[in-house]
Amino acid sequence: MRNVVVSSVFAALLVLSGCSDKEPQVEAVDNAAASSNAGSSEGLSGKSLGSSESESEIIARLEKEFSSVYFDFDKFNIRADMQANVSKDASVAKSQASKYAIKLEGNCDEWGSDEYNFALGLKRANTVKNALVAEGIDTNRISMVSLGEGNPTCTDKTKECWAQNRRVEFKLLP
Amino acid sequence: MKIVISILLVIASLFAGDATIDVVKKVDSLPTIAVEDSTTSHEQAFRDKFFKSIVADLNVLAIFNVDGFYRQVDYDLNRVLVENKDMKYVLRYKLSEDNGSSFSVDIKLMNGGNVVFKKNYNVSSSNIYMFVSHTIAYDINEFMGEAPVEWMKRKVIFSRMISPQKSELVISDYTLTYQHVIVKGGFNIFPKWANKEQSGFYYSSLDGKPTLKYLDIKTGKGSVIKSSDGMMICSDANEDGSKLLLTMAPKGQPDIYLYDVKTKNARALTNYGGIDVGGQFMGNDKVVFVSDRLGYPNIFSTNINSNSVQQMVHYGKSNAACSAHGEYIVYKARESSESFGGNTFNLHLISTKTDFIRRLTAVGVNEFPRFSVDGDAIVFIKNYQSQSSIGIIRLNHNKNFLFPLKYGKVQSIDW
Repeated sequence: MRNVVVSSVFAALLVLSGCSDKEPQVEAVDNAAASSNAGSSEGLSGKSLGSSESESEIIARLEKEFSSVYFDFDKFNIRADMQANVSKDASVAKSQASKYAIKLEGNCDEWGSDEYNFALGLKRANTVKNALVAEGIDTNRISMVSLGEGNPTCTDKTKECWAQNRRVEFKLLP
Repeated sequence: MKIVISILLVIASLFAGDATIDVVKKVDSLPTIAVEDSTTSHEQAFRDKFFKSIVADLNVLAIFNVDGFYRQVDYDLNRVLVENKDMKYVLRYKLSEDNGSSFSVDIKLMNGGNVVFKKNYNVSSSNIYMFVSHTIAYDINEFMGEAPVEWMKRKVIFSRMISPQKSELVISDYTLTYQHVIVKGGFNIFPKWANKEQSGFYYSSLDGKPTLKYLDIKTGKGSVIKSSDGMMICSDANEDGSKLLLTMAPKGQPDIYLYDVKTKNARALTNYGGIDVGGQFMGNDKVVFVSDRLGYPNIFSTNINSNSVQQMVHYGKSNAACSAHGEYIVYKARESSESFGGNTFNLHLISTKTDFIRRLTAVGVNEFPRFSVDGDAIVFIKNYQSQSSIGIIRLNHNKNFLFPLKYGKVQSIDW
């Protein structure tokens, strides 16, 4: 986190509200981007002879091997038609992606920005985690985060779109 | 007959202070007020902006029938304009700039040709004219002997979604006219003022492991408070800012924790296997929160010392957010159960001392209710027909006001 701009306008606001100090603007470091860049440079330095694929490229390729798990409205149980996806994901995690940690990202549709919606996303991720552990994945390899309604893949106002957003996605960490 | 009147008086007094009872005031019964501009120093466009702001603030006070017609007059004229002679009150103001650096406003409130209230306001820049307007309205409300509207002068902080996993934290006035982006870049949500003085705020950073951060708005100094797998949100701070209610999920299970700011110790208040989130202080030893322990989200309370849990709301099958003040709880209820249709979410108000329920909104997605510090008003987020707005509900005046956001979507809000 670093200070980048001191706003004179907001300083005036604080004078009005009885404060005498200036109000800064803070630019948050995008850790996701930072870690992604770090992974990229590490990958470049760690390239094996004869291979042109960096670690970040390997991760990006392997992440595509996973299938997102989709959920019903306001539910966090794994649907019958999603069991195959979970089994396939467990298989990928145990084989090609076995050297990486797994981050499960729980997502929701747009119906609610409150904590409950975030908790719903987390419960979805936790359900998938339990299913992966049941398939033999080490629980210590798996971390979770709920992104609530904040990471939609589709922003149309349609039932198909909302259904696409109620999902758990797989990310790999070096 | 005397007995009947006495009973009616007793009943009336019982409900006089109950915010769950709808208050219906006829506009015609409110005193009239007109606004006169005496400014000579600014361009007409700025004068129009200030006039609109002061008229809007007087309307939000909900104690006047406000005449919105713009009229100009000499500030020292010792009578009101003939067009305003039938008005109960006339507010006359004059804007001026000193040396081009500070912004000054003189006002006088006239009643029957007599000046009954006058004051001068000075700030460093005309860019924050809306705060002067809010303060003038606050002072007039106080002069009229009405209940305080402290919230009018307070700062609002909200999280605005820009794109997937990209948001910014914005500090504004309650009308969103003034906006200052205080944290930009990354995915930062759920800002929460750290104390009554609004000297700093907590927020959740989702860039990496969910982390609660604190930012002092005077110094710009930031610090990391705590991280948790899954979720990490500051739901509420007590009045002096010494205790926080956090939602954390260290083992994938969202529960409510009481966090001591001084000792940095966190103690779990709930340990239910489903969802427990959104803790809100209610008095010194009670916490209301959202839980799905009945199979659907609803509002419950627990005691900080005993951990006993009690259902607080007995209406609705999906009540997923709440805020508490005194004996009152405002909560969000889903009013339709369309899995794939346009859902309606409305806000309802209950008192823990009566069985009354008052519906506060009618259409659209109304969520994230937050009581003002004095309990006089409720701020909330409204999303309706692709427009995101911040709404204000004046509980004792039965009036709602909406302030639309120009771009982005409001994710969460505090004031």
